[in-house]
Amino acid sequence: MNPAIGYAAITVVAVASALIGFYGLRVSRTTSDFYVASRTVRPWWNASAIGGEYLSAASFLGIAGLILLTGSAALWFPIGYTAGYLMLLLFVAAPLRRSGAYTIPDFTEARLESEWARRVTSLLVIVIGWFYIVPQLQGAALTVRITTGLPAWAGSLAVAVIVAVVVAAGGMRSITFVQAFQFWLKLTALAVPVIALLLVVNGGEPPAQLTPAEAFPPAAGPGDLDVYRTVSLMVALLLGTLGLPHVLVRFYTNPDGVAARRTTVIVLVLLSVFYLFPTAFGFLGRAFAPDLAAPGESDALVLLLPDRLVPGPLGELLTALVIAGAFAAFLSTSSGLVVSLAGVISQDLLGGSVRGFRIAAVISSFVPLVVALATESTGLAGSVGLVFAFTASTLCPVLILGIWWRGLTARGAIAGMATGAVLSGSAILGGAALSALLPGMRPFLEQPAAWTVPLAVLVTVLVSRGDRRGVPRGTDAFLMRLHVPEHTRHRAGPETSGRMPRQ
Amino acid sequence: MSDERADAAGPAPDPREPAGERADAPPARVRVTARSAGSAAASARPALITGSDAPTSDIAGVYVRSLIRSQLRLGIVFAVGFAVATASFVMAIAVVPELDATFVLGVPLSWLLLGVGVYPLAITVGGLYVRAASRNEARYRSLTEDE
Repeated sequence: MNPAIGYAAITVVAVASALIGFYGLRVSRTTSDFYVASRTVRPWWNASAIGGEYLSAASFLGIAGLILLTGSAALWFPIGYTAGYLMLLLFVAAPLRRSGAYTIPDFTEARLESEWARRVTSLLVIVIGWFYIVPQLQGAALTVRITTGLPAWAGSLAVAVIVAVVVAAGGMRSITFVQAFQFWLKLTALAVPVIALLLVVNGGEPPAQLTPAEAFPPAAGPGDLDVYRTVSLMVALLLGTLGLPHVLVRFYTNPDGVAARRTTVIVLVLLSVFYLFPTAFGFLGRAFAPDLAAPGESDALVLLLPDRLVPGPLGELLTALVIAGAFAAFLSTSSGLVVSLAGVISQDLLGGSVRGFRIAAVISSFVPLVVALATESTGLAGSVGLVFAFTASTLCPVLILGIWWRGLTARGAIAGMATGAVLSGSAILGGAALSALLPGMRPFLEQPAAWTVPLAVLVTVLVSRGDRRGVPRGTDAFLMRLHVPEHTRHRAGPETSGRMPRQ
Repeated sequence: MSDERADAAGPAPDPREPAGERADAPPARVRVTARSAGSAAASARPALITGSDAPTSDIAGVYVRSLIRSQLRLGIVFAVGFAVATASFVMAIAVVPELDATFVLGVPLSWLLLGVGVYPLAITVGGLYVRAASRNEARYRSLTEDE
């Protein structure tokens, strides 16, 4: 591959992100108040922005790579990433919008009236965010290594520095327009190459390296389903989506709970369309690039395939487009995460000042960088899947029970979060060592959500039941606020929707 | 927000009104509730601990609790429905071996179906849920506004 294409595409995206970030800073200064302005955001824009922030390295590179590597079992990842928004719609979207909370720590504090519940939630949000950034940086490392020939660490370092500088300088705030644009950029950057490749391949030139029956053996197909692993993965992805730190603030920009629901349905549509293309890339890869099917290497499929199938300038153009889209994915997801993490860290630890936010932004970019440099990526989709398992075991029970169950107490929530964190954390971190000792336990340690989530819920409920201090005083009022539709509360007032948060 | 009671000088005090205000301004609630006494029982019957404004907040509370219950039931029904439909779809793909041998554009039909088939299902379930949830809220609104 011509390294000049890689350099050019990466530079263009990096400069564009920085410019949009700084330009956006001026926009957000001239706007009197971001949250006031955002109440006018249309569901389509909002949904595009959610998609733009959500679609990460795992979606852009990881899914196609995993389809190439493991076969149809990988098709469950995009299904889960999408259907997670269905669960969000069914159990969280409208009530969370009505709660007036910007972040999950805000929500737990308001719901449970407990500083400690807030602190534990903040800690978990920070850990989840950091481990979600790591695969983005590993994706960047892979992209830089494949496309420019530079050492892999240069890619991780570049993304971490760009994100830290842009976020700390105040750019790339949760500007709906920028993130919405990112979604359509990522969609275009995959859709155009896929359509071009399908047209080229349909002409019969170059011929497939494997016959269809070899490329898609029934042994790797949908008929050969590992029920436990699939169910556990689905539990992790469906419930983990609820707790992602950078998703919640987007729901606040809906005018009311009903609009939050409508936005979520549009997100379902947008993600469904998007995931057709990584899936198609994966299918093409199985027939045309079977030699890339190695752990760690298969994630490069999306970057390499256009050049292999379409020689000449057109292929180089498609490659540049894919590289740009991939870098946009790393930057947008990482900066969305760093913004929300820096908010939590500066608010809870550094006194909430602007300086504190900047320090926190730099910390939030560099801790994941150290982890990314110290570890080897074995597959982007898989490592993001583990972050979802951890989120599903820790934040999801508290969110769902907090919204739907009157009896939740601060002690119950903290006990449940601790249980989920310890169980899923040790399965994820110590799983490899443990399954070497006990091979029969391997699936349960590699996909822990199916048992860690129910246990976390059980502990939360039991400890809440046994909590002699009872439920927080404002529980009924808070639950009413979550569930009663907005325009019922202030009858006939002009400000029936889009209420501001309490002081 | 606490001056809203004066602004909302409606024709008659609405049972919904004080509770609605309470949701907006929790600091105004100074009542001491029995936090330690039998939390399980109290959690089942919150009206027992609300004191002197019990008559009004009781009716409002009943409506709110029934709204929460019906929305929760709705969410669970749709989630289970989605899970059952997905599982049946996948099992149907798995038990028909001909799908593995039928190729469309060089890809087995079974792979294509799993790759694209679940998304329309999720969108459909989501769209139906939005309508049903809004219906529940409309029912709640007509109940409380008929008072």
